[in-house]
Amino acid sequence: MEYRLDRNVHSLLDPRTKLLLLFTSSVFVVGNAGEKQMIVFYWILVYLPVFLLFIEKEWKAGFVAIAVYIGSFYAQLALRHDLTALESALALMLYIITKILPTVILARYIVKTTKVSEFLAAMNRLHVTDKLTIPVSVIFRFFPTVVEEAKSINDAMRMRGIEMGAKKATEAVEYRMVPLIASCSIIGEELSAAAMTRGLDVGKKRSCIWNIRFGLFDFIIIALCLSCFIWWGIGRFFI
Amino acid sequence: MENNNRLNAKDLINVGIYTAICAVICCAIAMTGVIPIMMVLLVVFVPIFTGIPYMMFLTKVKKFGMILILNALMGALMWVTGMSYYALIVGTISGLIAEFIYRAGNYKSKKLGVIAYAISGIYCWANYFGIFFNAEAYFSTRQNFGQEYIDAVTGMLPVWMCPVLLVADIVCGLIGGWIGSKVLKKHFEKAGIA
Amino acid sequence: MPELLYLVGDRKVFYMIVFDNVSFQYTKEQESLKNIALTINEGEVVLVCGPSGCGKSTLVRCVNGLIPHFYQGRMTGCVTVSGTDASKTTLRKLSKHVGTVFQNPRSQFFNVDTTSELAFGCENFGLLPEDIEQRINSVVNRHDLGKLMDRSIFKLSGGEKQKIACASIAVEPVDIVILDEPSANLDYTGICELQRMIEGWIEDHKTILIAEHRISYLFPYITRALLMNNGEIIKEFTAKEIRSLSEDELQGLGLRAERMQDPTDVKLTADNKKSNGDKMILLNMTYSYKGEKPVFNIPQMEIPMGEIIGITGANGAGKSTFLRCLCGMERSCKAMLKIGNELWNNKMRRRKIYMVMQDVNHQLFTDSVLEEVMISQEAEDKTEALDILETLDLKEYADRHPLSLSGGQKQRVAVASAIASGRSIILFDEPTSGLDYSHMLQVSELLKKLRDNGKTVIIVTHDIELIQNACTVVIPFMQYTTETQKESEV
Repeated sequence: MEYRLDRNVHSLLDPRTKLLLLFTSSVFVVGNAGEKQMIVFYWILVYLPVFLLFIEKEWKAGFVAIAVYIGSFYAQLALRHDLTALESALALMLYIITKILPTVILARYIVKTTKVSEFLAAMNRLHVTDKLTIPVSVIFRFFPTVVEEAKSINDAMRMRGIEMGAKKATEAVEYRMVPLIASCSIIGEELSAAAMTRGLDVGKKRSCIWNIRFGLFDFIIIALCLSCFIWWGIGRFFI
Repeated sequence: MENNNRLNAKDLINVGIYTAICAVICCAIAMTGVIPIMMVLLVVFVPIFTGIPYMMFLTKVKKFGMILILNALMGALMWVTGMSYYALIVGTISGLIAEFIYRAGNYKSKKLGVIAYAISGIYCWANYFGIFFNAEAYFSTRQNFGQEYIDAVTGMLPVWMCPVLLVADIVCGLIGGWIGSKVLKKHFEKAGIA
Repeated sequence: MPELLYLVGDRKVFYMIVFDNVSFQYTKEQESLKNIALTINEGEVVLVCGPSGCGKSTLVRCVNGLIPHFYQGRMTGCVTVSGTDASKTTLRKLSKHVGTVFQNPRSQFFNVDTTSELAFGCENFGLLPEDIEQRINSVVNRHDLGKLMDRSIFKLSGGEKQKIACASIAVEPVDIVILDEPSANLDYTGICELQRMIEGWIEDHKTILIAEHRISYLFPYITRALLMNNGEIIKEFTAKEIRSLSEDELQGLGLRAERMQDPTDVKLTADNKKSNGDKMILLNMTYSYKGEKPVFNIPQMEIPMGEIIGITGANGAGKSTFLRCLCGMERSCKAMLKIGNELWNNKMRRRKIYMVMQDVNHQLFTDSVLEEVMISQEAEDKTEALDILETLDLKEYADRHPLSLSGGQKQRVAVASAIASGRSIILFDEPTSGLDYSHMLQVSELLKKLRDNGKTVIIVTHDIELIQNACTVVIPFMQYTTETQKESEV
């Protein structure tokens, strides 16, 4: 069967829209700007990431996120009166979860659905310097590698029975960190060499095979984000 | 060979790699941060544990801008993973200061490296801003939670804790940097990879 | 534009690569290249071979510009690539002429998805997206890579990654292709596919430079072979000459001479003495990735004790996972190992079986070789530890940092701590990937030594020469892989 590259394959949203949404979410969900006046937008922004996960058919992650969020939210309601020390500690924990979970889910969605190449091109169009976009794209690429390396080092420790035998806590940390950093630094060196022999450089014009452009959903999300800020502005300066 | 003082792809990839390592470590520690007491201790653990990769990173830094970018990115990562945008602001400023400190020693001095690390690490402390300054605002929309609940939560975060945490953060940064430079000497320099 | 050399029909041929008395040293102590003089014409396929550390990788790095632009050192002489002085231009400009496939498939990708990786080089040069699309389509269809497109690189096997690495160079409009030990992590089928890629480049009249010590798979293609040692080109062979060398002669030069053959029908030459016929029995081992069908299913496997057992099979068949399950590291695997009357579960196997991982860097933790051996001992005993190091020729390195040693030495340190742990079953995951002939023999001797001390050694490998030299029993893994897995390999 002949293969045809489809340059229009991309996730629902443009990388620029995703970043705008992330920005909006961190201002209004985590930062809680606008407070009571923003309550409708607040709830939209809380549940939107899960909706995006569903669109990507990440059913399990989506349902787990909803369950955790609703669970912690109602548990907070239950912890209303006469808290013991332990209960208030629990309350604080739930408070943090409900506050950051939606944005964490959104960040995860963005990392999972954005191609490095798309990201570089989109940032280029926004005139963001390579000095930021190259490191960010390396983080995308390297995060799973670090986790992979850390896992196999942990395995090696379990196999050698060292995790139990470590005499001091410092050793337990040292034994994990040293091979991790050594091995990441070697991989990193090779990665740079490979990328540079393929022409990666700073401040040079790149092209991008992926057609990135705004679609209907982009306009809806952008409109949502803008109206958040406008409504907030109205509340601050006119009412 | 040309443009020796401009950041090239290798430098930027190094920044990305060490940011990723630091971020993974932060994440691993932050997981424990859901337990409230641990959350306060983040300001202790993060600077201590990221000291090792950070000191290794400093051995790769030879040009202006790398520390600044790493810090700005760490700040931005903190921000998007739900801490607060103060981390980005504080991180960028502290990164710039750290950059100047480390540059004063021609990107070689380990002592200045430790100090630069301790200063740059205060983005970690800035994470708490959102919780300190916004907790009441947060609950103003949730009066139905009941006053006791709100008191309990805010009671654990008195404003005087803020400077205490800053001092703790810097002290732990110094300790972390010191440990980092020890490990660097004990392992990476001995093994010839630093 | 490179200098015109001669005409073949109406096609002009140029000097593509010229080394003019080039020397290079990474550090002050050791010279890695000595007075290299070499010219390579357009369309030539040149093999640079020699034992590890001979300078072949350093030589190809001079061509792709990593020396002197990436790896700093002292360089004299001049390398001209496609008509320009490599040291006076930039890596980016050179990269338009030269494409490189590296040894380690894990570290040469910048993108996370395969399709973008194919486009990466062309995107960096700013080629039109429509052109890149066409180039990708033609490369993918030519090499039948459709199944590998739009995948995460983290979900590919080593062989698949190497295919993508080759394809991504094939997409670029380069004149020179450099392969730096491309077969190090490949199995038999992987090498066959690598051959197809090389054939494609030859059809397109690319100039190809290959640094390798496994050479027989390249015999049909090369026009010349250069043998290096200690940073010098010590001999130059024509294609015909190198083909006529016998296996022994090649091995004498430190090269891997194995003929291309399927590892399942290898004849064992290692002598089979001493084994007393005891067996351990592995029961109910099955493993599947989250939410997927099982990769392999082993209702019962008899493993003879006190032998060197080779587990063979294609890349991506789940052999490494099998080892991880066997030594109890996969929690989801509920297999049991029956030895005599004892049944070992995961936890017990973790305490009783030792595994030497493919990437030994992951299992070396301390700051000295001696310390590394001592933390494995039940009770620390310095004299015993030193004795173990002595038998493995590591005594002089006792105070060195394990990470500062060479690959082979690191592996021996891992074996030393395996011995120190007193465990009787030792597993090896691809212990010879990327090793030249003499180092492979060293590993083989080491395995035999372990067996002579009464250990049961289980190795997962696709290295035919190692199997021939060391293994006393071979268990083909194919019989245990499940149907879905077999289909995806074909």
